[in-house]
Amino acid sequence: MNKLLSFFSALAFCGLVSGCALHGNTDHSVDTFEGYNRAMFKFNYQVDKYILRPVAEGYRAITNQPVRESIRGVLSNVREPLSSLNHLLQGDIKGSGISLSRFVVNTTLGLGGLFDVAEGWGLKKDTASFNQTLAKWCIKDGPYIVLPFIGPATARSTAGWLFEIALDPVYWATQHNGSLKDRASISYGIMQAVTLKETTMVVTDDLERNSVDYYTTMRSAYLQNQKKLKCFNDTTSETDNYDFDFGIDDEDEVYNDMEAQDE
Amino acid sequence: MKKTIMAAAACLTLLLGSNVRAEVNAQGAEAFVHKVTDEGVEDIINANISQKEKDARFEKLFNSALDLDFIGQFVLGRNWKTATPEQRKEFIKVYRALNIKSWSQRFDEFKGKDFDFHGTSPSTSANQVFVNTSVKMDSGEPAKVVWRVREKNGQFKIVDIIIENVSLAINARNEYSAFIKNNPGGINALIADLQAKLKNPVKK
Repeated sequence: MNKLLSFFSALAFCGLVSGCALHGNTDHSVDTFEGYNRAMFKFNYQVDKYILRPVAEGYRAITNQPVRESIRGVLSNVREPLSSLNHLLQGDIKGSGISLSRFVVNTTLGLGGLFDVAEGWGLKKDTASFNQTLAKWCIKDGPYIVLPFIGPATARSTAGWLFEIALDPVYWATQHNGSLKDRASISYGIMQAVTLKETTMVVTDDLERNSVDYYTTMRSAYLQNQKKLKCFNDTTSETDNYDFDFGIDDEDEVYNDMEAQDE
Repeated sequence: MKKTIMAAAACLTLLLGSNVRAEVNAQGAEAFVHKVTDEGVEDIINANISQKEKDARFEKLFNSALDLDFIGQFVLGRNWKTATPEQRKEFIKVYRALNIKSWSQRFDEFKGKDFDFHGTSPSTSANQVFVNTSVKMDSGEPAKVVWRVREKNGQFKIVDIIIENVSLAINARNEYSAFIKNNPGGINALIADLQAKLKNPVKK
């Protein structure tokens, strides 16, 4: 039961519902589960429209920017131990130490993460996820899939996300308190979903407004963003991800034709 | 032996010659993006002028800075080849107008913000280079914005904008290809849909 609650908390945490995950592979013509994915995307869109969005808008109405930033700080601070573990699994001992130090400093002097004291000490935030770790271990991202309530994902990011659920810091920190642990996990998950929606609403609204096929837009953006996660021995530069060939050789001829017609 | 050396020298000359032709003025490209962003932020977003004047200035800047003919041809993908000259013209026209409208709205988000420049990265495409910038956000990490610039006849034009690893040209190409594939009306339906979006009221 607890695991189930933890699962739902993580669903809310990752939040999202069609709209928030703006992350991205690049063979965009391949969408093995397109029929299912489009149907699930529609479902998530409705959940987003009727549940998450109104809540996020209400949250925005009753809070101001500094308050929202402090809340994001607390939520993000809770996740620092997971970042520390993932840096370690990626062989980045320094990064692991920084994340752990940030957690200790911000939990104590930063009052649970309300203030980012560690940043002022030169301990810069660098979030690491299990999806990133799996990519570093050269595991391919696999097929694109839209998860219920969560939104865009790949096989690899889904596996990474399941690890995150299993090691949910809030759940493990409160596991000895029977009445608190489930409520804490669920509250944490809901707050993650709401803050994520609140911060990404402007971008997703813009994308939707200018899109003729919102599903494809979200898939394309997500898969492109996944490309930045590289295998440890991959020496290609980040630029390679978007240094595609436009494949336009006869442009001058084409424009001349168009201009001639204008005259 | 002498022939071999001469042949090698000839090859080297050809090789260097072709590299010189493909060389792009990276510093010039960076200065160009600098100028565009400065003009956009200072002369349009932060300027104390009417909205109508802002829109007019933005349209002028957008048309001079971006090569919408080039990008439009790319985003239509393989459908460009099968399109009639009228369809091509109509598509470029509506694509340009829609981009001006949507970017004019997006640009407001940069009010009070500055772009930090982080040098350039080479492109494998001839006469093109990436200009790396970032924008400080109200909270969290700065947003990474990369400008793909093409030099033609000594003039620079932006041909793609990559925001947080997402190429807007690739996104549009995927989206338009999917729309045409799934719609019996094909390119005409796409043009009609874009025209309808153009008529939607501006949402501030």
